[in-house]
This record gives sequence, C-alpha cells and structure tokens, in this order.
Amino acid sequence: MRFEVPYVDFPAQFRGAARETLAALETVLARGEFILGEEVAAFEKEFAALCDAEHAIGVANGTDAIVLVLKALGVGPGDEVVTAPNSWISTAAAIVHTGARPVFADVGPDQNVAPAKVDAAIGPRTKALLPVHLAGRCADMRALLEIGRRRGVPVIEDAAQAVLAKRDGGRAGSMGLAACFSLHPLKNLNAAGDAGAITTNDAALAGKLRLLRNHGLVTRDEAAVWGFNSRLDALQAALLRFRMGQLEAITARRRRHAARYRERLASLVECPMESPGELAVYHLFVIQCDRRDELKAFLEARSIETKIHYPVPIHLQPAAAALGHERGDFPVAERQASRILSLPVHQFLEDAQVDRVCSAIEEFYRQ
Amino acid sequence: MKVRYSYLPEQFAHPDEILAKIREHLATCRFTLGPEVEELERSFARVIGTKHAVGVNSGTDALMLSLRALGVGHGDEVITAANTFIATVGAIAATGARPVLVDVTPWFTLDASKLEAAITPRTKAIVPVHLTGEPADMDAILEIAQRRSLAVVEDACQSILAAWRGRNAGTMGATGAFSLHPLKNLNVWGDGGVIVTDDDALDRKLRLLRNHGLASRDEVAVLGYNSRLDSIQAIVGTWLIPQVHDITAKRIANAEAYDRGLRDLAGVLDVPPRRAHVKRVYHLYMLRATRRDELHRHLLERGVEAKIHYPIPLYRQEALRHLGYESGAFPETDRQAAEVISLPADQHLTAEQIAHVIASVRAFYGAR
Repeated sequence: MRFEVPYVDFPAQFRGAARETLAALETVLARGEFILGEEVAAFEKEFAALCDAEHAIGVANGTDAIVLVLKALGVGPGDEVVTAPNSWISTAAAIVHTGARPVFADVGPDQNVAPAKVDAAIGPRTKALLPVHLAGRCADMRALLEIGRRRGVPVIEDAAQAVLAKRDGGRAGSMGLAACFSLHPLKNLNAAGDAGAITTNDAALAGKLRLLRNHGLVTRDEAAVWGFNSRLDALQAALLRFRMGQLEAITARRRRHAARYRERLASLVECPMESPGELAVYHLFVIQCDRRDELKAFLEARSIETKIHYPVPIHLQPAAAALGHERGDFPVAERQASRILSLPVHQFLEDAQVDRVCSAIEEFYRQ
Repeated sequence: MKVRYSYLPEQFAHPDEILAKIREHLATCRFTLGPEVEELERSFARVIGTKHAVGVNSGTDALMLSLRALGVGHGDEVITAANTFIATVGAIAATGARPVLVDVTPWFTLDASKLEAAITPRTKAIVPVHLTGEPADMDAILEIAQRRSLAVVEDACQSILAAWRGRNAGTMGATGAFSLHPLKNLNVWGDGGVIVTDDDALDRKLRLLRNHGLASRDEVAVLGYNSRLDSIQAIVGTWLIPQVHDITAKRIANAEAYDRGLRDLAGVLDVPPRRAHVKRVYHLYMLRATRRDELHRHLLERGVEAKIHYPIPLYRQEALRHLGYESGAFPETDRQAAEVISLPADQHLTAEQIAHVIASVRAFYGAR
C-alpha cells in the first residue's frame, strides 16, 4: 500500500543524495579496509563531538551498544538493571542477555521513566539505571543522576532515538556514564543497514568497550577479556559521516513539523510539549488520544500512515513471561499503550502534508 | 616481489556490477532483511546443500545464535578445540556457558580421542572447528555426540565447501556456522555470517533470535538479539556465490603447488598428510616449520606476507585465565602455536608469486 503521507520516505533520502551516498561507499571500497580502521575512527571522533562527549565507539547496532556497556560495567547473573517498560523490546532484552534481570519503573506523562519510581525500584542488587530517551525526548536526567549519585548506581542513557536531543543544558549522550545510540535505517541519523554507537566521557570505559566489540583483542593475537563481534561496518561509517553533516537540518525540519502539529492539535489530543531548557528531536511525534484505533483507521483510509510505538508494553510480552508481571503493574505505561499514536514527522514531509494530517484529525474529532 | 596476504583490492578492482546493484537497492531502501537477504540465503543453502540458511551479523554470532537456539545457557558446558580463533570460545562464553577445551590433532582440528574425557553432566554441545578449511574428524565426533546425546554445532567459518567423506562442512551438525568476513573464502564488504540447517524448527527459532525475537512487528515470542545480515552485504555475497567453486578450486591448486614445491623439506617443515576422504579448501595454507619465527621474518623481508594463526594458545590468554587451565595442558596446541605459519594461498595469487614464496622458503632452509 502506497500512502500519500507515508510514515517514512527512504527513497526521498536516497534521491536527494545518490551521488554522495555512492561516493561514500566507493571511498571505503577503494581503500579495501572494511573492518574498523580509518573510516570508523573518523566517524567516532565526529560522532563524539556531535554528542558533546569525549569518546565514541562504533558498534554493530543499538541493542549491542546496551549489551556491551552493561558487560563493561560487570553486570551479570544475579544483578538488576532498572529501565522503562514502554521502550523497544531490545532495551530489556539487552539486560537479560547479560544474565541480569530488568526491573521496570513506570513512566510519567512524557512517556519517560518517573524519577520517583526509579528511586523506589532500586534494590541491593541494582547495578545500573537505564532510562530511555523515548521518541527523541530526554528523560529527566538531572533528577536521575541525582538519584544515581545518592544510591551509588551508574546511569546509562538509552539514547537510541535521541541523537542531538538536549535537556537542562545537557546533550543526550553526554550526561550518563555512557549512552547507547542506534543508527538503524529508521533513526534520525541512519545507516543503510544496522549500526550503533556508544558515547562516554570515561576513558577507561571507552577502552574496555573497544576491546569488547572486537573479540576482546588487545592486539591481533592477544585476548584480554571475553569479547563479542560487534563492529560498525566501515561502509556504514562512511555513509554516516556524510549524513551527520545533514543532521542539524533534519532535526530542524522535524522540530518544525512538531511545532505545526502542536499548534493545531494541542486542544484535541495530548501533544508532546517541551519544558524550558528542553530540545526534543522528534524521532517520533507521539500523541496520546481517545479512540486511538478508530483514529488510526480513519487516517489510513485517508492515505495517512501512522504507527504505534509500542502497542504492547515489554512486561506484558510473551517473552517477558518469566519476569512474572501482570496487567496493572505499570498502569501509566499500560494506559498510554492504548492511547499513543505516532504521526509522520520525517524530514521529507512538506508542510502541506502535515496540515493534511492535522485537518484529518480535526475532522475525526468533530464527527 | 610482493606477495601480500590481503587480496581485497584485486578482488574488487572492478566493482561496477556490485555498485550498480547497491545503487538500485539504496533507492528501494529495504535495508534490514527483505528480498536481498532472502536471495543470499537461498543461494547459500543451494551451494552448501542444506534446506535452510539464515543470514546473521557475523560468524561469531552464527555460533552464538546456534547455541542459544539449542538452549545452551548459564551453567552449561560446551566443548571446542583448543587452537581456534578467540571468537569460537567468545561465542560460547556469550551464551553464559563455560567453554571446555580439547587438544587437537596434527591436522589442526579437535582430537576426537580426547573428547569423551572432557564430557561432564553439564555438557550440552560440541563445537568442532574446521580450522584452515579442513574438516574435523566428524565420524568420531558425530558418533560420540549421538551416543552421549549432545548437540553438534560446526564452526565452519573457515571452511566453505570443505567436505568430510563427501559431506560438506556445516551440513553434518545440528547447524553449521559460516563467516563472510572480508578475509574469508566467500566474503563481503564488512561483517556478515550465515547459519545453515536442515531442521525446520531450528530455522524458525534462529530467524526469531536474530531479529529481536519478533514474531510480528509488535509481538515478541522470545527474547532475541539484533544480529541481521545487512542487505548491502547480502548483495555483495550473492554476487560472489557463483564464483565460490572457482575460488575453492584455485586455492586447492595453489596448495598443491606449495605441497609439491616444499615436499622434499619434510625434515624441517611438517605439512599435515593429505587424506583422500577430506576435501580441504585452504582458507589457510598452514604448516609447522622449524625456526618458525626466523622463517617468518625471512619471508616478510622477501615481501611475502606470511601470518601466524595463532601464536598464543587460547588457554594462555588473559581472557581465559578464570577457566583455570594449567600450563602444558594442551601439548599439541602449544606445539602448533610455537611452530605454525600460514602462507598466502588466495585465488588472486599468480604462478610467479607462488614460485617466489616457495623459493623464499627453500632459500631460508638452504635448499635450491
């Protein structure tokens, strides 16, 4: 089905930069250095600067970014990590794969973890806090970092959806002990395949992560620790370097659409608002509304594509059965799951398309 | 004369055909999974002769996901060869299981006569490594595995199209794990891997595990991983698959040329005997050499980029210290670490380059 207002528009992204995209690939090809090397090192330097962080480490994807950070911190069987129940599944899966147990803290109206709930979820086995900057809005890091300091637990940012986002003067990726980014094709900064990155200001942690992503190898022949194979492909690094140059414009365009939506829809549905000192990057523009499923069908009939991120909270997924949760455990996240709807907000939308979405939603609620 | 170890610049000197396909693909933008990956999976399964092939992020992940799909986890033990690349044991450790090492034969593969002594009540699987492109002794390993009810995951990362009694590497165990790393016989432009299996249920499970456990976009059946073969890499792999028989034949021919050229140096070189029931595909042309380090330096000085796979035995690595192996626990592995050397054997070598390598080795030992 081809939508007139599509949720994503990859072909537009390629059409606008076919020459530059292929040139980036050919650079790597000509050098014949496909694994790590010069291109990945250059990407890491530029990405760290972009995130106001001292170090960046390119990895295979955003999920691995979390696994590797937790492993680097020594998280394993018997430990607990506190996170949000309304994230993409891999936030919790990454915790489980280290052998630790995910402990969920319910979210606030902004869909990010509520600091008081996080505080209450910390126990003697808690080894890390893993707030998620969902949809491109930073969680309340000031409060979370304060809790982390007070309770002696490091805070790791799941910044998979939040490259360039800011809150209280801090950039996503620069506030926690480390931050995990996804550079998946659907993200604001996207590769043409799976890719991820970790940022940190801790040099020792950065060194450990570089070992962990490459089999634990200190040199070609010496393995210092058990590692993984989780490297950012040089081909993807080259493409990402090109696209990083466009990211400010992409973000501005997404923010413009968000403002337009807010202006017309805030009286009809609950729109994401920015608090003073907050800069959201709108990886998703998530409204909370009544009669969500009806509205989604209504928009689809008008050739407007929307998505739900995510309809089933993690603690209610079959995969999470062993954690023993039931409906009602995280009432805010559960209620939001039935009310959230992601409107198209990508950088290739025209203002007229955004207006068309607004008009359709107005029409729906006037019925 | 220069004889370099990596041949990627030659291999992809004329990339126009691949770039045209990538260009077409970039415009469609199906970057994760999708038809390009499916096409590679079909071609790969056809070439290897299995019912299924599953594209994943790397050879390491191919091993790790295979073990996870077989239910291996914390508290379990997995047996593998003591002289493999770190990734084999890294993959075992990543599942939470404990790697248990077994010494190897002069053919560089797991010594099946020492296998049973390593089995305990916690043992869940055996990972024979077909190192250098030479299959391990699969008759004995499969017999023991069946008798002791253990799963076999073949580490076939270096051995595409190698065969044991006519059966292809990767097709004899529950699954076979392949690497498509740029330095492998069948390679792509970054990290990539493939798992093959004839088992429908394992195939389904592996497809879930590599993609977050997603039964649909919104339903998570099991906790999975993100370990997908990139579509771009699948395009490169699909382009190369029709050449893999030729690549293999050329490497075997190069190895035979080395065998002939070095045969009379048996007093100083130990080339493992060739066996009629084994098809070895020479990802590495590896042999043991007297005064190995000196020979290595001599070859490098003569422009021959020989390599050592691998100079420090795994059990002596810092990362494995907690397994508690004592020095000398794996004498054949120790001997190989001290004596092996790999000569360039890839499909892009010319007859002159091979002659230069042979002459350089002969010169070192004072032979003409």
